[in-house]
Amino acid sequence: MSVEIALSSIFARYSDNQLNIKVEGNTVGECFKDLFRQHPNLEKMLMTREGKLQRAYDIYINGESTYPREMTKPVKDGDKLNIVFIIYGG
Amino acid sequence: MLTERELQRYDRQMMIYGFGDEGQEKLKKAKVFIAGAGGLGSPIAIYLAVAGIGTIRIVDHDTVELSNLNRQVLHQDENIGGEKAASAVAKLQKLNPDVRIEAISETITDDNASQLVADSDLIVDAMDNLPTRYLLNRTAIQKGIPFFHGAVYGFEGRAMTVIPGKSACLNCVYHGAAVPREKFPVIGVTPAVIGCIQATEVIKYITGLGELLTNRLLNYDALSMKFTEFKVNRDPTCEHCGNLQSG
Repeated sequence: MSVEIALSSIFARYSDNQLNIKVEGNTVGECFKDLFRQHPNLEKMLMTREGKLQRAYDIYINGESTYPREMTKPVKDGDKLNIVFIIYGG
Repeated sequence: MLTERELQRYDRQMMIYGFGDEGQEKLKKAKVFIAGAGGLGSPIAIYLAVAGIGTIRIVDHDTVELSNLNRQVLHQDENIGGEKAASAVAKLQKLNPDVRIEAISETITDDNASQLVADSDLIVDAMDNLPTRYLLNRTAIQKGIPFFHGAVYGFEGRAMTVIPGKSACLNCVYHGAAVPREKFPVIGVTPAVIGCIQATEVIKYITGLGELLTNRLLNYDALSMKFTEFKVNRDPTCEHCGNLQSG
């Protein structure tokens, strides 16, 4: 499955300034694996040492939340994944 | 009843279809609680004051620092070292002497949140940390009053409106997640945009105009100049609002 991952501008420094990245995979987890293969610096930002998504992030597929089973969620061809980080500044 | 002066002052907004004298009367009767007089609190308070919100209660425990002045437009150089509450009330009262401004220099805590919000009709979230945002979200739900969330980071921002028992709350979105509190980057134009969205939502809610930003988390990315909406749903297991019946 070919999926697009849309990153926030704050990740630009970890993704060679690419914010819309094409990846392959059948689940969110597989898409992330392909994302990290292309941009290894993103893995440290997004994942815990145990390989789980850090709690500061949420994933949305076509604008809908994947909580609580983000990584096992299946994706289909043409889906768009957004990685959303918690912001609290005022 | 609007005075002759108010009829003149708010003439242009009362011309908006559906707004009229009735909408302005509703704004005049409203009591709005703004948590924070910083980057977000500044545009929120300024635009609600000039729109004619009858009573604005703004709470901030901080003092003004030079490094605040790239974004916190309620304050200026001469206020450095003084309480933000004091410069907020002075600036807002100068902008619109016809509205009542109550500025309180206190830290919002578990113990005083409900008392500080008192009989306000709604809560606007302009805080700079997640724990107080959750506390205000919970307070709004307990009191059954709407909660208007906004947050910023760098060139990015978020906004969402919460109607207790009817739409997803902040905790439904973030599921109680905690992030370490750090000094965050921000440029003034970002809270200006997000704060104005929050103030717009407040005015819409009070006047009953338009469609609220409920069950939608609005994300603003200024660098790509894109607004993205994420659909959010009430979480029946939410610790804050899960016990409320859908209205």
